[in-house]
Amino acid sequence: MTINNASSASERLPANAAKGVSLGKDAWRRLRRNRMAMASLVALIIIGLLAFFTPLLPLAPPDKHHTNLQYEPPKLFPLFAKSFEFDLDAVQASRSKRSETRRELAELEQRLEQIRREAEPNSSLALETSTTAIRRMSNELSNILQRPYRNAGFPDLGAISRWMVRTRYTLLGEWSLGSIAGRDEFGRDVLSRVFWGARISIIVGIVATLVSLLIGVTYGALAGYIGGWVDDVMMRIVDILYSIPFIFVVIFIITILSQDDIKAWLESWGIDRITIFYLVVGAIYWLTMARVVRGQVISLRNEPFVEAARAVGARQSRIILHHILPNLLSVVIVYLTLTIPRVMLFEAFLSFLGLGVEPPNVSWGLLANEGVKVITPVKVYWWLIVFPSAALGITLYALNFLGDGLRDALDPKLAAR
Amino acid sequence: MLGRTWILFAMFAGGLAAVGWAVYGSRLPPADFTFINETEVASVDPALITGQPEGRIVHAIFEGLVRPRADNNRAEPGVAEKWEISDDGRTYIFHLRPDARWSNGDPVTAHDFLYSIRRLIDPQTASRYAYQAWYIVNAKRYSLGGSALTPGDPVEVELNPLDGLPNTVRGKLLLGKLVRIDSRTSSQEKSESSRDRVYVVERDGKERHFQIAEESDNVAQGVERCRQVLLDFREVGVRAIDNRTLEIRLDEPTPYFLDLLAFYPFSPVHRGCLEKHGKPAWTRPENIVTNGAFRLVARRIRDRVRLQRSENYWDRANVRLNVVDALSVDNRSTALNLYMTGMVDWVTVPPAEVLRELLKSEPPRNDLNPAPQLTTYYYLLNTTRPPLDDKRVRLALGLALDREEITRVATGAGEKPALSLVPPSMPNYEQQKCQPFNPEAARKLLAEAGYPDGRGFPKIEILYNTDQQHQAIAELVRKQWQRELGITASLRNEEWGSFQDSQQQLKFLVARRAWVGDYLDPNTYLDMFVTDGENNCTGFGNAAYDTLIADAAKEPDVEKRMKILESAERLLMDEMPIIPVYFYVSRNMVRPKVRGFYNNLQDTHPLNAIWIDPNVDDKAPRPNEYMEPVQ
Amino acid sequence: MIWFIVRRLIGLVLTLWVVFTVSFLLMRAVPGGPYSGERNLPPEIEENVKHRYRLDRPIYEQYGFELGNILSGDFGQSMRLYDFDVNQVIAQGLPISAALGIFALSFAVTLGLSAGIVSALYRGSLADWALMSLATIGIALPSFVIAGLSIMLFVFLIPVFPAAGWGTFRQLVLPAVCLGSLYAAEIARIARTGMLDAMSQDYVRTARAKGLSKLAVALRHALPGAMMPVVSFLGPAVAGILTGSVVIERIFAIPGLGWHFVQAALQRDYTLAMGLVLLYTLLLYTMNFLVDLSYGILDPRVELK
Repeated sequence: MTINNASSASERLPANAAKGVSLGKDAWRRLRRNRMAMASLVALIIIGLLAFFTPLLPLAPPDKHHTNLQYEPPKLFPLFAKSFEFDLDAVQASRSKRSETRRELAELEQRLEQIRREAEPNSSLALETSTTAIRRMSNELSNILQRPYRNAGFPDLGAISRWMVRTRYTLLGEWSLGSIAGRDEFGRDVLSRVFWGARISIIVGIVATLVSLLIGVTYGALAGYIGGWVDDVMMRIVDILYSIPFIFVVIFIITILSQDDIKAWLESWGIDRITIFYLVVGAIYWLTMARVVRGQVISLRNEPFVEAARAVGARQSRIILHHILPNLLSVVIVYLTLTIPRVMLFEAFLSFLGLGVEPPNVSWGLLANEGVKVITPVKVYWWLIVFPSAALGITLYALNFLGDGLRDALDPKLAAR
Repeated sequence: MLGRTWILFAMFAGGLAAVGWAVYGSRLPPADFTFINETEVASVDPALITGQPEGRIVHAIFEGLVRPRADNNRAEPGVAEKWEISDDGRTYIFHLRPDARWSNGDPVTAHDFLYSIRRLIDPQTASRYAYQAWYIVNAKRYSLGGSALTPGDPVEVELNPLDGLPNTVRGKLLLGKLVRIDSRTSSQEKSESSRDRVYVVERDGKERHFQIAEESDNVAQGVERCRQVLLDFREVGVRAIDNRTLEIRLDEPTPYFLDLLAFYPFSPVHRGCLEKHGKPAWTRPENIVTNGAFRLVARRIRDRVRLQRSENYWDRANVRLNVVDALSVDNRSTALNLYMTGMVDWVTVPPAEVLRELLKSEPPRNDLNPAPQLTTYYYLLNTTRPPLDDKRVRLALGLALDREEITRVATGAGEKPALSLVPPSMPNYEQQKCQPFNPEAARKLLAEAGYPDGRGFPKIEILYNTDQQHQAIAELVRKQWQRELGITASLRNEEWGSFQDSQQQLKFLVARRAWVGDYLDPNTYLDMFVTDGENNCTGFGNAAYDTLIADAAKEPDVEKRMKILESAERLLMDEMPIIPVYFYVSRNMVRPKVRGFYNNLQDTHPLNAIWIDPNVDDKAPRPNEYMEPVQ
Repeated sequence: MIWFIVRRLIGLVLTLWVVFTVSFLLMRAVPGGPYSGERNLPPEIEENVKHRYRLDRPIYEQYGFELGNILSGDFGQSMRLYDFDVNQVIAQGLPISAALGIFALSFAVTLGLSAGIVSALYRGSLADWALMSLATIGIALPSFVIAGLSIMLFVFLIPVFPAAGWGTFRQLVLPAVCLGSLYAAEIARIARTGMLDAMSQDYVRTARAKGLSKLAVALRHALPGAMMPVVSFLGPAVAGILTGSVVIERIFAIPGLGWHFVQAALQRDYTLAMGLVLLYTLLLYTMNFLVDLSYGILDPRVELK
């Protein structure tokens, strides 16, 4: 491969890129004309923003029990109430405690290193005890960090969320919105739980879909691009995997991995059930993606601009990266908007089986399931089913309509009509 | 092209025809009495089951020497019409009634009971309730197999069964005397395994060598293969004096033994049926031979068990239901919906929040009458694992439990908080209580154990079987421990089957459990917690405790015996391998027209006593026995 | 044609074998092993049991043993339903699941196809929007919510259907509609796209140019072409619906296979799980085969090879 050739290949690129942009612009114009799809897009953006900034909103903490207010129906008055007991001092205090614990942890780790280095044959017991000590200490580290938030009634939070909670406390103090969407069995605020549930549900949908995307696009693109018997074998594998009932596999894997001993082991690696869910679901939904992408790649492979790039001797990786992948984008986006709803529903299904997210975390699926359980002919606690279902329903509707709109917009053949 | 479309339509129509066939092919005529039997019954084999749903079916189709009375569950004559108990309380002689018949017409004989009790304690049966028979002389040694044998014992060697016979037929028995047990180290250096043991048995003056092995296995020269080596069953205290007389000898006078005999593991099974069809085929409706008030006529998995009045039952004149359906519906909301739409007559466990609402209704409902029940809900603590191996931690967890909040929020039928394992209403017995809710003391104990404010306390996990109410309780407990002790807990649910495995194998840290008294004596609760007890499930073992339980079993004087049991419970509450949470109340909803249904302590409602009163409608104010106030 | 069938048969055997192997290894990889449930035995009996199930043999011998059993059609005894063979469980559940599934799919196809066709013909109109919204409910709400709400609506508020159970036609309607709604949405989408696609084909345009009415063209010329993607969706859907109507079966207390599927996985009933997994594979494969055959029926240009 000479320098000459490479430069000519890159010369070819701007034209192609320009084409991509114009395709995108074209699609965007068509999409804008589709009112349903645009409304959906706006709705989704709003939902996403609300979910992300939930800790900043004046809501009661999602896991705060008020058992004396069990099943309190929605009420507008008082619209605001003091229901947010947060100990900012404890957060400050935990800082100093944390550095202390960190120091202890570092010491322990040193000692462990020492034991390892000495590697005496009878030191396995000492090794084990110091490993447990380290695990306990790092566990304690996160405990110290989370405790003030836990006591206020939050699930375990990441750094950004913790910052938002603190900011919210300094801005709004103990005031938060009253139970305008009612309360559940433990007197927890349903509105707040719906908002916090959004965070998990949306993240679950997106991450699991992205995992499937990553695997599916790579696999499909490779199979389609290489072609020949490799393609044949790869696609047969997909066929076989297709015929394994995946509901079964997911439940089986989750049951096995949530067994006592295995779970403890996984948790020492920081893997919880949600992570397993991402991985397993991602690893299953990639099959369709792989098929779709492969088909697209095969048709793209024979497009003039790809053949031209190959003719000028561009490297394989370059062709895939710069010529084929951008053109897959439309398929991928459509697939994304249609897979996220499925994953979210699947999460709801697992909640129904009791295998969904674990308390104190909440998801829409979990909330909907709690709601369905209390609609009985004797008494209907309607607020427990209406609000979570509405949130889930609106999001999924929007995603579906957006997906349809995108497909219409990105498919020039349909657009030509 | 239209022709092609027609083919599709034809396929479509064919499909619909198949639907019709599947629906109408599986129709059954309606039953007289239909009830929700919760989960699918695991089996109808009396020796294999442990659960309440199974018990309802087995009690209906089999009948033991005695049967539980419908109103108070005490033993009343069943297959045995009368019995004598020796003065020392150790020997029971049962006289079987002449008109007791199997559903195929055979008479029920003392030999049937002999066969069934032997089968119950045969290690090959692997019955979880075998230990209920251990009161019988030598039954324990028999059921423990070769490991309980010592040289000099009379033994029975069961040879491998012949090929081609049903798996319920025993191999040929060789009786003899155990001379010694040789331990052969096998070629692979393994730890001592029972399969490497060689039993030297003297028989007709000759020494023969036996080893547990399949016919296809290699054994050393001169060693014979066998299936198992057990104590000679003639040493066990059960004997058929003649066809209609059965003698049972006990190690100790056991005051509740009769009540225990009414319990389903002691139901007889028909030997001919078992040995003809083998396991599990003998339990199929078309094969099974039973001796109870009802026959098993149909079973559809996860749908229903259909029972029909038996024409051979001795007391058939007093059985008034003709066809009974036991529905396997484990979704509580669905069960309630079925009851509310009039499709079932008895629902065992309505959802808690529904009960709460129904109990408030005015005028009071005429189909709901919660009454105390002999059942305790408690949390198991796995004492073999840190940090729960520390008694102070266990006590702290117990002290931090606000039971009032639990019974107020999570249970709906007026359940009472429990501070002891043994429920109230045990005659002559004073409950030994643990300390009530006391967060201060709990924090202090936890600090003493090295976890001030919960610092450094590992995350613990609460295990429960998948159910809304158990989940609600676990959720409250999690919050309470977090609030009062500063420790974090997580929840895990499992389906019933795997949940039981996890408990048996101690694969949990904290788990829920409830125990229904098998008979009206504190012993049914307390003897669970002896070291390595079958239902201990906590890893708890305490020599003093074991001694107390054993002493209580030997004590003939009622009052003294109760005192010993009281000190056992005291010890249990001080060591706290379990945290009592609340005492159950029965939560049945029973349609007014159902008669012969009584509230009782064990929440057992024999179907043979139930009948339908067509003159009672759903609005009758105090319609039936169930709604009568409970003393 | 024969070559096509033979090839598919070989593929089926291969697939079943792979699925069996994967499942076998997955189940043996579980700590405690498949027979951990049979504790409670004196150690020597437990050893005996293990020995009988050949669990003390090397894994390849166990594999061969189990493969042999399954080849002879014996899936063994269920490990949680002690009184039943796996074959019996399947024989009882499959017809029920199938009946429910077929009925649900008929509903789904009817609703989905009409929604798809109408919305393709009157794209962007109110009818398009309304029909697609209706069809989308099934994939916008979890099935247990749909089922729960429809029970409240059609059992208690307007009492037209029984609450649950199996045995009469009326008991079948509500669960079938709930189950079908999940598939109606997909079918509507696919049919709509397929119709739009077919309407832009030359032969349809020609027919239209000849002056035939829009509806007639759509039904006679465009529909068969648009059916192809629908049919290829239906293949796997049938297999899925036969075994996978889990939620609906539970809520409506229907004794089909779906709930067994979940229970087998949740309760580690390995023998039943193995039987069901292989059944699913078999069904899916057969359905895909039928789909390929029906291509030949729908589109004369397709040649089976």
